[in-house]
Amino acid sequence: MAPQPSSKKRKAVTCDSPEADQVLLSDGGDDSDTALLHGTRSQSEEETDVEDEDASSDLFDGYSDLEDEMDLEDALVSDQIPSTSERDLADLKRNGTATSSVTKEKEDAEGPPAKYKITEDANGNPRYIYDDIVPVYDSDDSDAPATQNTIGNVPLSFYDSYPHIGYDINGKKISRPAKGEALDALLDSIELPKGWTGLTDPTSGKPLELSQQELEVLKRIQMNEVPDEGYDPYPDTVEYFTSKTEMMPLSAAPEPKRRFVNSKHEAKQIMKIVRAIREGRILPYKPPPEEEVDDLQVKRYDIWANEIARPDHPMNVPAPKLPPPGYEESYHPPPEYLPDQNEEKAWEDADEEDRDKDFLPTNHDALRKVPGYDKFIKEKFERCLDLYLAPRVRRSKLNIDPESLLPKLPSLEELKPFPTTCATLFRGHDGRVRSLAVDPSGFWLASSGDDGTVKVWELLTGRQIWSVRLGSEEAVNVVRWRPGTEAVILSAAIGENIYLIAPPFVDPEIETKGREVLDAGWGYAANGATINATKEPAIQWTRPGSRLEDEGVLVKFSLRKTVKVISWHRRGEYFSTVCPQAQSSAVAIHTISKHLTQLPFRKLKGLAQSASFHPSKPIFLIATQRVIRSYDLSKQELVKIIQPGARWISSFDVHPGGDNLIVGTYDRRLLWHDLDLSVRPFKTLRYHKKAIRAVKYHQGGLPLFADASDDGSLQIFHGKVVGDMMENATIVPLKVLRGHTVKKELGVLDLDWHPSQPWLVSAGADGICRLWT
Amino acid sequence: MAMETIIADANGIAASTSPSQVRVQLSTRYPDISLPENPGPILVNTNFRRYALSTLVNTLLQSERPIPFDFLINGTFLRTSLDEYLTANGISAETTLAIEFVRATIPPLYLASFEHDDWISSVDVISESSPAGKWAGSAGARRLGQERMLSGSYDGLLRIWSMSSEVLATSPSAGSGGHTSSIKTAKYISPSHVASAGLDRTIRLWKYSEDPDGFTASISPQVELYGHKASVDSLAVHQPSSRLLSASADHSLGLWLTKRSDAPAAPTSLLPSANSRSSKRRKLGPSTSTPQRGPLSLLRSHTAPVSDTIFAPNDHTVAYSTSWDHSLKTWDLPTSTCVDTRSTSHSLLSLTALPSLNLLAAGTSARHITLIDPRASATTISAMTLRGHTNAVVSLAADPDSNYGLVSGSHDGTCRVWDVRSSRSEKDGRVGESLYVVERESMKGKGRKIGGEGVKVFGVAWDKGVGIVSAGEDKRVQVNRGKGMVAEKSA
Repeated sequence: MAPQPSSKKRKAVTCDSPEADQVLLSDGGDDSDTALLHGTRSQSEEETDVEDEDASSDLFDGYSDLEDEMDLEDALVSDQIPSTSERDLADLKRNGTATSSVTKEKEDAEGPPAKYKITEDANGNPRYIYDDIVPVYDSDDSDAPATQNTIGNVPLSFYDSYPHIGYDINGKKISRPAKGEALDALLDSIELPKGWTGLTDPTSGKPLELSQQELEVLKRIQMNEVPDEGYDPYPDTVEYFTSKTEMMPLSAAPEPKRRFVNSKHEAKQIMKIVRAIREGRILPYKPPPEEEVDDLQVKRYDIWANEIARPDHPMNVPAPKLPPPGYEESYHPPPEYLPDQNEEKAWEDADEEDRDKDFLPTNHDALRKVPGYDKFIKEKFERCLDLYLAPRVRRSKLNIDPESLLPKLPSLEELKPFPTTCATLFRGHDGRVRSLAVDPSGFWLASSGDDGTVKVWELLTGRQIWSVRLGSEEAVNVVRWRPGTEAVILSAAIGENIYLIAPPFVDPEIETKGREVLDAGWGYAANGATINATKEPAIQWTRPGSRLEDEGVLVKFSLRKTVKVISWHRRGEYFSTVCPQAQSSAVAIHTISKHLTQLPFRKLKGLAQSASFHPSKPIFLIATQRVIRSYDLSKQELVKIIQPGARWISSFDVHPGGDNLIVGTYDRRLLWHDLDLSVRPFKTLRYHKKAIRAVKYHQGGLPLFADASDDGSLQIFHGKVVGDMMENATIVPLKVLRGHTVKKELGVLDLDWHPSQPWLVSAGADGICRLWT
Repeated sequence: MAMETIIADANGIAASTSPSQVRVQLSTRYPDISLPENPGPILVNTNFRRYALSTLVNTLLQSERPIPFDFLINGTFLRTSLDEYLTANGISAETTLAIEFVRATIPPLYLASFEHDDWISSVDVISESSPAGKWAGSAGARRLGQERMLSGSYDGLLRIWSMSSEVLATSPSAGSGGHTSSIKTAKYISPSHVASAGLDRTIRLWKYSEDPDGFTASISPQVELYGHKASVDSLAVHQPSSRLLSASADHSLGLWLTKRSDAPAAPTSLLPSANSRSSKRRKLGPSTSTPQRGPLSLLRSHTAPVSDTIFAPNDHTVAYSTSWDHSLKTWDLPTSTCVDTRSTSHSLLSLTALPSLNLLAAGTSARHITLIDPRASATTISAMTLRGHTNAVVSLAADPDSNYGLVSGSHDGTCRVWDVRSSRSEKDGRVGESLYVVERESMKGKGRKIGGEGVKVFGVAWDKGVGIVSAGEDKRVQVNRGKGMVAEKSA
């Protein structure tokens, strides 16, 4: 490092030295008397010494003369003109100093009176009273600013050929500073002042000096450091987010609502955008770039231009695609795909052709650790061979038997017998047949209808055996046989009246029995009346009149509202009636032997639709429009509320086993309830197009049930109930029986099963009953 | 080959003109029409039809009067040409066909209808070949042309018809000793005795007397038999032992004596007089003048209404009965016990016997006829099923001429004639098809009625001389010619 600066120094010196010499040669005489140069004279003396040294050094260094001459010439050229200007400047300066010195001398000469008066103060001492300073222009030039060059942005080099370097504010030339003075330069070179750069400030033309601070900055830049002094490149990290997990919240304040409430403002903004998108002001996706216009210069060929789609032909089989890679082929397969040691060994031991896959699933931590696949070329080659050489066979895509997708149902053959065809028509009713029932022995069929008659038919042949007219205006809404074969009793409801009939066509013995059963209660009737007299007039059981009595109609009573349902208890002692329009007296239970009518369900919620006794337990079920309530008759409490979820229940029937229930609804549904399972339906069957009017289980041990609908059809189902609690009931739709014609939106109004045979009877709105076998 | 040329010459058909020929082996079960010498396999043209084959057999038989033959191949009657038959059944023309020839049957021709006022439930015929006629022997038998027909109607009246569709006699009405309700069954016991029963739960025996001129006759009540508590649906008579069997809807069979003197007294509780109310109301005439008798025994074992009963054809101490409870029971009458029960899968509604085959034919509610072997040795219950009816089969009658034929009356409004030999095997046993369908004349051309409405056949009888007599809901007794319908040996 040492020699370089020294050489620089020396070089600078050599550069300046000829100029200095020149100056010395030219201006030597002038300077001797200038006061300005007084101070530097001593310096120049020192410089001469240095110059001598430099001369010797020149010799030593052996600098090329040419270079020196060049510099010399430059100096000469440059100095030709300045010599005059410099002289002027010097003159000016000399004048300036001269004037100032003159004024000083004047002041000195005029003395204090010029500026102050000496008076005598109280003590007799002189007292100086100074004049007021007149604030005229240039009155105090000690504050005058340094001469400012006013040439503006014009480069200083423009003045290179002049002795001045510009003009001051007064338009006077600013003379070139004595930069080129050799002595000064020599002196400067000898003793480099602090911050010396050897450069010239381009704005002022003065030598550019750097302050200590600037030097420091330069030094730091040189050292590749940040120039700013206080800058620490490696400060300590401020942990805004610590790595430690804080267990406790910083604040116990509850989370503000705004954190989890959608921002209304954002929603507004989004809606704005959404609206804009809808109106087409914003295009959510950049439209696909327009097809670039083909550059006509480039020629392109569409080799598939003339290709036509090949027909799907066995002779044209496209190359089969390889299956996409699976988990096994992953570089990092799930552990269950990785072979254990035995499998690995087995794979390696196996002959290459016997392996089920031609690679071994291997686990790699990272994708970069996966080695190259050594069989790649071989595999691709074989694939090409396969495509090229292997004959292709077309295989049908999907070989699924559609039958196998169907649920497995037992075949209909196995589920026989069930009714399939219409065997007999029972024609004779005038108007709709409202209700029908097969007698417990299975030999007779009773039907009733709009014509106010109850008719009894021979079931198999369809012969009308007996008929009675209970009324002429009202329809006989329901007819039911009393259970049990020892006495044959028929109950029928016409309007609000209920008639109990011992039909005369049966065996006299049985008929007599029936009469006895019906007549047994006459004695009780009066008692019952007295008991109930407190509240409202009890329902009186009366004789229907001699005309009907001759026909076998023995008992009549009125329930004040239209009776829609009659349901007998299995022992034949009780029967219940339902009058949906009667509010509190909708459901009545009648005791045959006492001729007693009770209204136990006075606070029934909803309109009663149907009611039935449980086949084995002392339970009574009442269906309102939406739910079915089951009451325990012995404990007199509500047991269960069955909720079929229907809008309007039309009818229901209890399975003879007692644990299942079917419900028919006006909203076309047939619902199967397993009472042990849930209060909700076990199965919902919705096959009818119109309301279901009646549902019935086969009561004679066959696993059948059926429903009758307003669409004129009956549907037969196989519904097998297993005693085992674990197994659910099997429900299989068997047959749709069509034949009834729909009249005034009404189809089949009632149905009944034969007590033992798989025979079904149905009552149609067309006035015909049908037997289906 | 010599034979073949003979045949070809005889038929006037050049065998060489048709290249397709098949070898057939002709055979028959009847000795009277069997070929004089076994010709062995014969080559015949495959374009032969029944008529050509029949001519061939007649030639072979060298009968002076040609007999029409029918040909059974593998249990089916040949109704097409041999060629078509072979193609339809996929049989090679190389094989030797075994052909059985029988006398051809003649379609049952409609003869006459006898009109009634009400539905007719039952019909019976007496002729010299009918059971009642045979029992009567030569003394009372109705000679050919003097057959009488008995019909029981739902209006409660019995009618005796001559074959010229005249009502010879009508039973008295309810007021004067007749049935108080519909008659469900009526049977000839002998030419002068008639039994009937019906919905009024009584069986009534009638005496029928006819003037010698054959134009006036009368039916007078003889005995009223009380014992059943429900409708009596069927009667079976065995005149030689004076026994009468009744099948009733009260689940019981009744065994009765037709002789008034020997019959036990009637159970008093069932008599109309026992019920004072009903007797008071219903007694309109001197009904008590008729003697009332009771049953010898009531056979109770069925659990549902008994639909039909017959005496065993060879043994009058054995009876068979069918019931709605799906069973066919064999009864030993002297001990009044049920010997055997055969349960089927359907309600049985009618019964008749095919004695030579030891089979009983039972009509079911499931629209078919089951042939049941009642013998204890029989392994299967149902030997054959005859399918074709579309409604319950409620009446059956065996062919008097043939061992293999029977006629069935069904609620679908048809009678069907069956030949049990014509059958094929299916997965559920052998199934037969009907030879002929006898439609109701009243419903000709009106199409099939749903549920047999208005045309149900309730009763059918088949007599050698009269033919097939059927009656039903259309209030007519319809007579169809029945002779020779099912091939049987000729006289």
